[in-house]
Amino acid sequence: MALIMQNIDIRENGIAHLDNINLTFRRGGLYTILGRTLAGKTTLLRTIAGLQQPQKGTLTLHDSDFLQLPVWKRRVAMVYQQFINYPHLSVLANVAFPLRRAGVPRAGAHQRAREVLGKVGLADFEKRRPAALSGGQQQRVALARALVKRAEILLLDEPLVNLDYKLREQLREEFQNIFEGQDDAIVVYTTTEPAEAIQLGHEMIIMDEGAVIQQGEPLAVFNAPATIRCAEIINDPPMNIFYGAIENGDIQLQGGIRLKVPAHMAHLPHGPYHFGLRAADLRLGRMIGSQVELSEISGSQTILHLRGDIGAFILYEDGVYQHAIGDTVQIDLNSDRIYSFSVDGDLIAGPAAAEAYRR
Amino acid sequence: MKSTYLLLKYLAILLWSSFVALPFLWALTTSFKTANGVTGGATYLPWLQYEPSLEGWKVLVRTGGQGIDIVAPYISSVVVTLSASLISLMLGTLAAYGLSRFTFRLGFLKNSDITFFFISQRIMPPIVLAIPFFLMLQFFGLLDTIAGLILVYVALLLPIATWVMVDFFNNVPREVDEMAMIDGCNPIGAFVRVVLPNSLPGIAVGGLFCIIFGWNDFFFAFTLTFTKTQLLPVAVVALNSSVTPWWSLSASALVSVAPLVIIAFIVERFLSSGNMAGAIR
Amino acid sequence: MLKFKYKHFFLLPGLIVLVAIIIFPLLFTIRVSFSSWDVVKPGLDWLGGKNYGRLFVDMRFWEALTRLSMMAVGSVLIQYVLGFGLALLVWRDVILKRFVRVLYLVPMMTTPVIMSVIWRTILHESLGPANDIVQLFGFEPLTWLSTGGMAMVSVITVEVWQWTPFMFLLLLAGLLSLPNEPYMAAAIDGAGPFRTFFSVTFPLMAPISIGAILIRLIEASKLMETVYVLTSGGPGTATETSSYYIYIRGLRDYQIGYAASLSLTYLVIMIISLTIIAKVLTYKFARG
Repeated sequence: MALIMQNIDIRENGIAHLDNINLTFRRGGLYTILGRTLAGKTTLLRTIAGLQQPQKGTLTLHDSDFLQLPVWKRRVAMVYQQFINYPHLSVLANVAFPLRRAGVPRAGAHQRAREVLGKVGLADFEKRRPAALSGGQQQRVALARALVKRAEILLLDEPLVNLDYKLREQLREEFQNIFEGQDDAIVVYTTTEPAEAIQLGHEMIIMDEGAVIQQGEPLAVFNAPATIRCAEIINDPPMNIFYGAIENGDIQLQGGIRLKVPAHMAHLPHGPYHFGLRAADLRLGRMIGSQVELSEISGSQTILHLRGDIGAFILYEDGVYQHAIGDTVQIDLNSDRIYSFSVDGDLIAGPAAAEAYRR
Repeated sequence: MKSTYLLLKYLAILLWSSFVALPFLWALTTSFKTANGVTGGATYLPWLQYEPSLEGWKVLVRTGGQGIDIVAPYISSVVVTLSASLISLMLGTLAAYGLSRFTFRLGFLKNSDITFFFISQRIMPPIVLAIPFFLMLQFFGLLDTIAGLILVYVALLLPIATWVMVDFFNNVPREVDEMAMIDGCNPIGAFVRVVLPNSLPGIAVGGLFCIIFGWNDFFFAFTLTFTKTQLLPVAVVALNSSVTPWWSLSASALVSVAPLVIIAFIVERFLSSGNMAGAIR
Repeated sequence: MLKFKYKHFFLLPGLIVLVAIIIFPLLFTIRVSFSSWDVVKPGLDWLGGKNYGRLFVDMRFWEALTRLSMMAVGSVLIQYVLGFGLALLVWRDVILKRFVRVLYLVPMMTTPVIMSVIWRTILHESLGPANDIVQLFGFEPLTWLSTGGMAMVSVITVEVWQWTPFMFLLLLAGLLSLPNEPYMAAAIDGAGPFRTFFSVTFPLMAPISIGAILIRLIEASKLMETVYVLTSGGPGTATETSSYYIYIRGLRDYQIGYAASLSLTYLVIMIISLTIIAKVLTYKFARG
């Protein structure tokens, strides 16, 4: 009972929108697709919905050819990132629309629509037009309409990206509750935010430049990113990467900085490596000098963009601090949290303990 | 300095407004004149310079050889204009939606070429088409008939309707169409249930343009009709070449342009209430 | 495969109607232009290129073309200048805008032929108000419709009356959609009104100006109805345009074959000239 994509390819002018995608989506699964903009997430969803045809590959649902079905026969539900509702219909008529199209009589359709509207918290809004609602409310109408269909496949394409920060957090929690109840459906949710992907999904898929570069259980992927690119995408701010080597029993970084080799990397042979360290694993301290290039304050945290002999990197710390551009800052590295990647970018060793995502 | 500029500005506007109003005012005044008001030279003010009379207007409703039958051409114009506009709008809206949403390929021609083909029909000088239309209608026995005129007018108005609607549809996000299809509508269903109800401003503009161009055509009505069917512009111009006195001529002219002038006022009302602001660009 | 069916449903009805009603007549005209169809000998024979040879030396045709070009270009330019001027005057003035918009919409909506009928009475040299107004300003009465040069002026006047509002509305819409920033920058740089106009307004309005001029040129090149009512091509042939001459040959003299060749040549010349004008204008004024 699965939706299976095999060798799906979509290319245009030499750019791969989808690059040899092979994915299996099982019933009852909640899949999040994480990737930067233009990674191919939207194209993937649109291919499943039938709005785009792949040039190569097969797509089957329960072993029958899905590609042959036109959009309107595919029994998919989709929520767009732009709040899409039917402007000329009331909220209730909006949500009842797919049911009416499927032949459900008016009374029954309206009743079911009301139930779902209640679930998304819009019970009092049924007579209004979408244009008279706020962004968050409009998106809830779109969600209600997607849910009322009880479709086998529920697709959400960055549904929260156009909402403000607070609303996003609130709706994210509501989503979790709503999705818990969708045992029969395949839910695919795309996002550019690692936090969202990790929080919401049972299985996470990382896409980059049209291809799937890693998939698995969210925390597992987070703790063991397969390549440097995965590590960059799944961390916000992106993981810092330093070029260096293991020599004479020490980690050697650029600029002559030496660190003791931590326990989880003790077995590694000498040679060149890339070393990765999350922004949150750097602290203000005494070890290494660097210059402030940029200082951002986000919420109640400070993000410092620094440059030193070891390279350019980002530091992330709790609290609000003032740093002027050009200031010299000393930082500490927590070597217990260093990742090592091969010169080609593949993961070799990561920190042992699967620490919970901090934030 | 500032006030001289303002003075000049309002003067210029006044001059232009007078120029615009001139033919209407003149026709209005003249329609109430009799021979005395005309033969001695131009007169302007009723009662002061000439004796006003309703003769010019009465003649319009008098029928049977005595008067000018303006009613029959009026009806013909209404029937032909509305029918042709309706048909052109329907065909044009469909074609425009197709051109906006789907990709077509006829040989090496693509969507923009096909759209250009539709729109470029307006470049065609009427005279180029008048001759073959004449022969064609003659062949089918449709010369001098309402049906023949409607056929020809559809050919003329279809490009206009298509041009307006293609532009309009291109500015309507296609995500709503897609959503309708995801919700179970085939493309025709999506068009009828979701796109059309939201296209009323565009259709209104398209319809308006069709009506204006249809009502105001002279050339095709002139070359393709003779006695049985007469459209308004032809009727009025026919009066021009005979010995019709100026007062009935002016009255007929005013009565013929009145409908569209009224529509102009209605449109302006609509424009300033911002309703059609998005559709007219 | 299903998509195949649906998209055709939308486009084909309109396309077929258009092709049937316009392309076939056009093809037919091409065929007729190679025949000698006229009132004496109706029917399609084959004349080869004789009609085209005849029109090549038909001075009346070429003079008509020249006259048309002069009148069309002249009247469109005047419409453009007046329309732009009016739009500039009204642009920033909120009260005026509402008042004039109605007034200026109306001429465009009237039937051109019928207004020409009224104009004919206005321009009547002894009985019409035109000469009264002229004499009010201290000039001698003009021979509006009885001399060649003035007749052209009369035709242009009527066209200007009818279509300047079109330019006005289009250019006003364009002005209203201009961004504010360049004007703020110009003000900071201390530019006066003339300088601002030539360096900021005019260049920014280039695309719209070109579009408006082209649209009006296309319509003006068909000039016939006004001439028919106002002057009947006269006096003599002083205001005879291409369309009018072809009308005479084709539907009055009933020399259908010859008229067909005339109209096709006219069409081709129009298409070529308009394309050249469009390219030149775009190249010169709308670069970058």
